[in-house]
Amino acid sequence: MGRVPYWNISYGIGIDLLAVPLIIIFLYGLYGHWKRIKQGKARLTFSLRNSSLKIGPVYIGALFTKGILGSRIYKKLFTGVAHGFLFWGMFLLSIGTALVFLNVLFGLPVFKGAFNRWFMSFALDAGGLAALSGTLFLLIRRLAFPPEGLVAPKARPGFVLMEVAITVIILTGFLLEALRIAHNGFDEGAFVGNWVAGLLGGGDSLSLHQIVWWGHGFVALAFIAYIPYSPLIHLVLAPINTSLAIPVPGPKMGVLDFSAFEDEEAEELPSLGVCKLTDFSRKRLLDFSSCLWCGRCHEVCPAAQTGKSLSPKGVIVTLSEYMNKDKFQDDSLLDEISANAIYSCTTCAACMEVCPVSVNQPKAIMRMRQHLLMERSEIPDIMGQAHKSLEARQHPFFGTGSGPNDWRKDMDIPSFEEGKTEYLLWIGCAITYEERTQKIARSMVNILQKAGVSFGVLEESRCTGDPAKQMGNEFLFSEIAQQNIEEFTSLGIKKIITMCPHCYNSFTRHYPPLGGLFKVVPHSVFINSLIKSGRLELRNGEQTICYHDPCYLGRRNNIFAEPRNVVASLGRLIEMPRNRENSFCCGGGGGNYWAEEEGTRINQARAKEALDTGAVKIATACPFCLLMLTDGLKKYADVEKAYDIAELVNNQLKDG
Amino acid sequence: MHIVVLAKVVPDYEVPSVDFELVSNRAHPRYTRMIGLYDENAIEMGVQLKEKHAASLTIMSYGRKEDIQILRKSIAMGGEKLVLIQGTSDDPFVIADNLKTAIEQLGGVDLVLAGRQSADMDRGIVPGVLGEMLGSRFIPQVSAVENEDGAWKVSQVTETGLRELEFVGNGVLSITSVPENVPRIPAVRAIFAAKKKSVQTMSGRDGDESWMSEVSVEIPKMESTCEFLPVEDMNETAMTLLKRLKEERYL
Amino acid sequence: MKTVIIEIMDPNRLGELVTVSKKFCDTPDIIALGKGDLPGTFGKAFHTSETISANLVSDISELLKKEGYEIIIMSATTIGTGLAGPLAVRLSGSLISEVTGVLPDLVIERPLYGAKAVMQCKIEKKPLILTVRRKYFEKDMLEGTTETIELPGGPEKVILLAEKEEKQEGIPLEDADVIVTGGRGIGNAENFAMLQDVAAPLNGAVGASRGAVDEGWMPPTFQIGQTGKIVAPSVYFAVGVSGASQHLAGIANAKCVVAINKDEEANIFNRARFGIVMDYKKAVPALIDLLKKEV
Repeated sequence: MGRVPYWNISYGIGIDLLAVPLIIIFLYGLYGHWKRIKQGKARLTFSLRNSSLKIGPVYIGALFTKGILGSRIYKKLFTGVAHGFLFWGMFLLSIGTALVFLNVLFGLPVFKGAFNRWFMSFALDAGGLAALSGTLFLLIRRLAFPPEGLVAPKARPGFVLMEVAITVIILTGFLLEALRIAHNGFDEGAFVGNWVAGLLGGGDSLSLHQIVWWGHGFVALAFIAYIPYSPLIHLVLAPINTSLAIPVPGPKMGVLDFSAFEDEEAEELPSLGVCKLTDFSRKRLLDFSSCLWCGRCHEVCPAAQTGKSLSPKGVIVTLSEYMNKDKFQDDSLLDEISANAIYSCTTCAACMEVCPVSVNQPKAIMRMRQHLLMERSEIPDIMGQAHKSLEARQHPFFGTGSGPNDWRKDMDIPSFEEGKTEYLLWIGCAITYEERTQKIARSMVNILQKAGVSFGVLEESRCTGDPAKQMGNEFLFSEIAQQNIEEFTSLGIKKIITMCPHCYNSFTRHYPPLGGLFKVVPHSVFINSLIKSGRLELRNGEQTICYHDPCYLGRRNNIFAEPRNVVASLGRLIEMPRNRENSFCCGGGGGNYWAEEEGTRINQARAKEALDTGAVKIATACPFCLLMLTDGLKKYADVEKAYDIAELVNNQLKDG
Repeated sequence: MHIVVLAKVVPDYEVPSVDFELVSNRAHPRYTRMIGLYDENAIEMGVQLKEKHAASLTIMSYGRKEDIQILRKSIAMGGEKLVLIQGTSDDPFVIADNLKTAIEQLGGVDLVLAGRQSADMDRGIVPGVLGEMLGSRFIPQVSAVENEDGAWKVSQVTETGLRELEFVGNGVLSITSVPENVPRIPAVRAIFAAKKKSVQTMSGRDGDESWMSEVSVEIPKMESTCEFLPVEDMNETAMTLLKRLKEERYL
Repeated sequence: MKTVIIEIMDPNRLGELVTVSKKFCDTPDIIALGKGDLPGTFGKAFHTSETISANLVSDISELLKKEGYEIIIMSATTIGTGLAGPLAVRLSGSLISEVTGVLPDLVIERPLYGAKAVMQCKIEKKPLILTVRRKYFEKDMLEGTTETIELPGGPEKVILLAEKEEKQEGIPLEDADVIVTGGRGIGNAENFAMLQDVAAPLNGAVGASRGAVDEGWMPPTFQIGQTGKIVAPSVYFAVGVSGASQHLAGIANAKCVVAINKDEEANIFNRARFGIVMDYKKAVPALIDLLKKEV
């Protein structure tokens, strides 16, 4: 005998009628989100080269993988599986409920034959069981053993209520099924229902069934109606947020347009950066609404993990609380978050890399930093000195003991000449003004000369402007960048080799919107191609070398393999526990090379991690990383251990 | 109240010794030019006074036309007007004489602030000479200025401490750096506004510079034989250091 | 040449100026300022207790004109700087500041560009006013005493409201044989106390770089460098000091510089006799422990 909908229930249609007002409540809640989010600025579109499939603003790939499948959640296995059980279990149950509804309305024959047995009974029981176990795991984890990130600085309220509600809905669902089975007899496939019916000991209460039926219905409807007012709204917002995020790594800062300031006629000048919620784009406000406060970003953040006042989660929490309290025009925002926290960000982007719902924390932080610097002139002392130096002498290395040409002392290096030289070897500030890093350039010159590459350098080394951008001064950045672009264009420069990932990132991400289109190759990639094509011959050593991923090369530009290939051709490559896209920053990014750190020093933490691999040498491919690691290693080791890959390659070149 | 701050554009004062070279007795022109460090402290102090007393603030410089774009920073920091007296003299009396003329032309100037010494010639003479030429009080090494009921109260850093001084009338003060007058970073909108400000330029007068003649300018040789002590065991390092200091009769 | 010294009655400052004056004459005259007894033998000795330069300019310039001095020597200190410019205008004289050397035939030596260069110039016009950088000339012994003639006091144009002496434990920086100086690398005001523990057992004094003073960790009176105190100790500990040329200008005459800095490329090592490349937070406590035991 098939199941009969609304069996034992009079006026069962009442529950469907009740659904109407509750769905209105649900939609009203959704509208509330939209109303808040639309107070942000319409998104600026800027061109970023990427070939991902896109319909309108929606990236289809990201929608399915990160959005619907929730692929990032599984980076934490247990939590990921529990979340998967809960989500997919509830997904099955919702389909089941929808089918019952269709059966009532249109007589869809779902309660017949194999479909009833395998889907309506077995699959839905399995779904309920999965969702129940998932919820209970998450609930107990939240209450009994929450991970650091979940509770620091605070946990998001509302989860416990919703998790309890889910538990109640599923338990009452099973009870209903069991009561029905107890009365109507064994239901093939409904393995949970049959088992619970057995537990009831053949007891059969039609009135209890009625009470539970209505209770289950009310709770379920109330649960759905309440979703937009609870953290569970991420069911809707998270897929939207992930599918709108441009699938290019890094925060994608773009460049600011200062033309309004140049305009003599302009009446009202725009406020630079962000000091209140309405200054953010709608995408950022969607970020803050989507964020679940799960704290995975907190757990990977180099600042948060070394006792700084910054927690990327903490920042988003404050922002979302301002949103919930409708404080859209309140400019106490930056003070609430604190300038100290805003300047502690190393812009390493580890936070956004782990974020399951594609929140762009660094961009929000950088927007606020831009305001602090460009409008309020607030910057920590030492970083301020570097900034002042960059402004006055076009490099941030104040107090340097080196002159601009010291790096090329006693070397015969050709200058770039249009038509004669193919590549410009770009010598940035970090390589020019620190004695340790000058060796990178000297090694690279030697490598290029050995390989017979046609290259030249500029008469005077200079900065791309990246430190200005990282410190929040977009204006200074665009001034320096425009000057460079003009000079490159007039010199006929088309191809550039960089030794600093920050320069690389600037050239490839931030110069094109200003009109500077150059073919740029990081030295790790270039050296790798020289080795591959046989233009460099190396003596392979037996030594173990571990490789530290510079954030601006790895996580922000997905260059992981080439530097590793180079290292592997020099010795035995070993990995640190945190590597590739999960690499831990050296601490020098975001202008924090010039910082008096509070708490533990990030570079010491990373140096320790590298040393603990037991590697004889530590390789990296960024002058800032090299300086930070060299300094960090002093705490633990007396001998020099950190090298740039160019230095290592140069040392192992075969003679002749 | 009208305040004038004197600012001089000088070659980068942080050029490391190893990279320093001279061309016809002066720093090589390749070095970046910037506002002298104590001059920036003086500008900051001028801006603070302007903000407190709603004073007008003029930045005045003696130098080259190319210096204008560097001097605009002082306007962005809060200066209202920029006056450049064009000239190339290094003579303190000639410079002071030119500044005196320009200040008198401005008229109604109550207070002149200047860095305690320029970052190139390192003399610290011009403010004192100018003060006397203007018939104003001259007080060197000032770290704070206030105006109370028309009287100037200033703090002066001396070799042994701090003096609180008071005077009435016009003054020329040379400013030293303290935490309170660390120069501010100009906001971007102020930088743009400064670009649009017109600059008053006047040509400087030559003067008699025959009171002295330069015999030579040279870069002194610095012997650099640093002995790095081993640092494996700091207690041992400290012991070695003390022993060596005693052996070589420094202690 | 008829030479006069204008200085407060501090035997160290006076001693150095007398040494300078001997390049121009046998026995200089003096205008002694401030309180105390005048040490040393001078030709004529005038005295006034006034020490505010602005209140002295008129009287002193009259006196200088009347006596017809050709060489006027002061130290490059607050009071010397305050007097030099105005006097040069009143006397229509020559003026060289921050003098570090006096050669024959009125050739004077002084530093330029943060002491990265040294200028020699010949003076063609008298009277010549010199302000002499401290610690560049040996102190004269200042034997005997001289009767002073009191100068009449003029009207006070600048009033002294208060004078605050920075309490200096132990020896003034200029006179210390051992100086322990902290720079920006010290990181905060509290840690300067650590430097005191190195200085005290060695009977030394604590100083600060311009960076540390700008951070507000030490009062400006403790600043060592071209625009602070010029010092000449026998041992100069530079702790967390990077060694900008303006700082080195203030320690040009230090005999032995010991640099402690974690940055091995810090410029201070170019001036140091001994270098310790290490975080001062590790190095200094070890030194303090040892000094406690040894001294």
